[in-house]
Amino acid sequence: MKTQINSSEGQKNYMRKARLHRLFIFWSRILVFAGFLALWQTASSLKWIDSFYFSSPFAIAKLFVHDIRDMSLLSHIGVTLWESGLSFLLIIVFSVAAATFFWFYPSIGKMFEPFLIVLNSLPKSALAPLIIVWLGTGPRTVILCGMSVGIFGCILNLYQAFEQTDAERLKLIETLGGNKLQKFTKIVFPQNIPTFISLAKVNIGLALVGVIIGEFLAGRQGLGYLIIYGSQVFKLDMVILSIVILCVIAMLLYGILNLLNRKVIARWQ
Amino acid sequence: MKSDKPFVHLDHVKFSYYSSQGEVEALRDIDFSVEKGSFTAIVGPSGCGKSTILSLISGLLKPTGGYITFYSEEFAPPKIGYMLQHDHLLEWRDVYKNILLGLEIKKQKTPQNLGLIDSLLEKYNLSDVKHQKPSQLSGGMRQRIALIRTLALRPDLLLLDEPFSALDYQTRLSVSKDVYDIIKSEEKTAILVTHDISEAAAMADTVILLTKPPCRVKDIIPIEFEKHGISRDEVRNSKLFQQYFDKIWRELQNENTNQ
Repeated sequence: MKTQINSSEGQKNYMRKARLHRLFIFWSRILVFAGFLALWQTASSLKWIDSFYFSSPFAIAKLFVHDIRDMSLLSHIGVTLWESGLSFLLIIVFSVAAATFFWFYPSIGKMFEPFLIVLNSLPKSALAPLIIVWLGTGPRTVILCGMSVGIFGCILNLYQAFEQTDAERLKLIETLGGNKLQKFTKIVFPQNIPTFISLAKVNIGLALVGVIIGEFLAGRQGLGYLIIYGSQVFKLDMVILSIVILCVIAMLLYGILNLLNRKVIARWQ
Repeated sequence: MKSDKPFVHLDHVKFSYYSSQGEVEALRDIDFSVEKGSFTAIVGPSGCGKSTILSLISGLLKPTGGYITFYSEEFAPPKIGYMLQHDHLLEWRDVYKNILLGLEIKKQKTPQNLGLIDSLLEKYNLSDVKHQKPSQLSGGMRQRIALIRTLALRPDLLLLDEPFSALDYQTRLSVSKDVYDIIKSEEKTAILVTHDISEAAAMADTVILLTKPPCRVKDIIPIEFEKHGISRDEVRNSKLFQQYFDKIWRELQNENTNQ
């Protein structure tokens, strides 16, 4: 129902209260964040905490401005972003290809399922040292690490979603004279677009996790590398700055995929 | 219109399938024919393989015994349209694109066929909903759209697999009447599988009664309202309808109690 033009006094009151409540929540969140920064700054200025270990918002902001000016920070951010982006794309491409293949050849799918389950429940960081030995240090290893965290689960989930397609709908395609390829293109794939989007949402986060692990162990650039390097030379401003930037990146990615998700879900109902 | 030439003939058709619980004999001896332009209803106890008969006629399954023969003037095998229990309109396509599904699959999106769709939508007052989402339509409307999706392929024979059973009673009455009118005015031959005796008696020219599994034809009952001058619109109120209903009901009842 649309809002009525001549809404009653009670309705107006309700709407006003609801709006005030939303405003309150919004500003209280900002207040919590500002309060935290203020407390942190005060604590380090008044030497309640040792700013050598805990840094301070001002020091981090100063470092941020400095490192942005000399371009070093941007290039590290760029490296992490493209490594995660590439890992994410490769996860998606491989998962769709594998799940599709398994759907067309279910015996092969059944054959590989238990292996995927085992690989998926393995803590993937355990694989990283092995990858380093195989591929050395550098972006290739980092990207493989980035893929390793999400890919097995992504294949598995997508394949299982494909498999659970309503048999009656597949029969519909048969009654219309369609073959297996058309069952896939007309029903199985479009029906699972929402699953695909939510898997993408999870996996962009996992790709970032994997890339950071990779950069910890084998990177020579990137935010993960900055964190490890900073902690080793006790430049904790640098460590915390990198973490803050990671927060922002994660937030943005989440926001973008959420938007995409909402658009798709609206169409798929 | 109805003619006396057989169109489809099932000649002692048998069907068994295998499962981990053992071999299941679904159909033991199915023997009947369907005339061109007629409306045949198949009624039987639940689980007796009524739908299997449709799958066999459509060629989705192959009989394990007997023959299914089609008689037609052309050399091509007849085109078969299928309507399932649920409309299965795809929620990511609008109504019009749902109707196009069959033509897309058959790669027959010709101007004539698109024109046919438009005229069917027009004729049955569904043009307004063309660009709506299936979720915006009522159950009855969805089932009529599903029928148009089937008719778009110009089938010679329509197989209706309990297409109204998912609808509530009120809707079922009106949609079954609509579907009946559409099938008659398009002069299609139809075979309806149903567990609803009144639906069978109200729509069909012939009711085929099946036994419990393993399934045989128990009785073939001609339904002759036209002979008695009763129009299909008012059959449900007629005495004859009650008589047909009782006859079918009794026979089914015997089937359920006889061991």
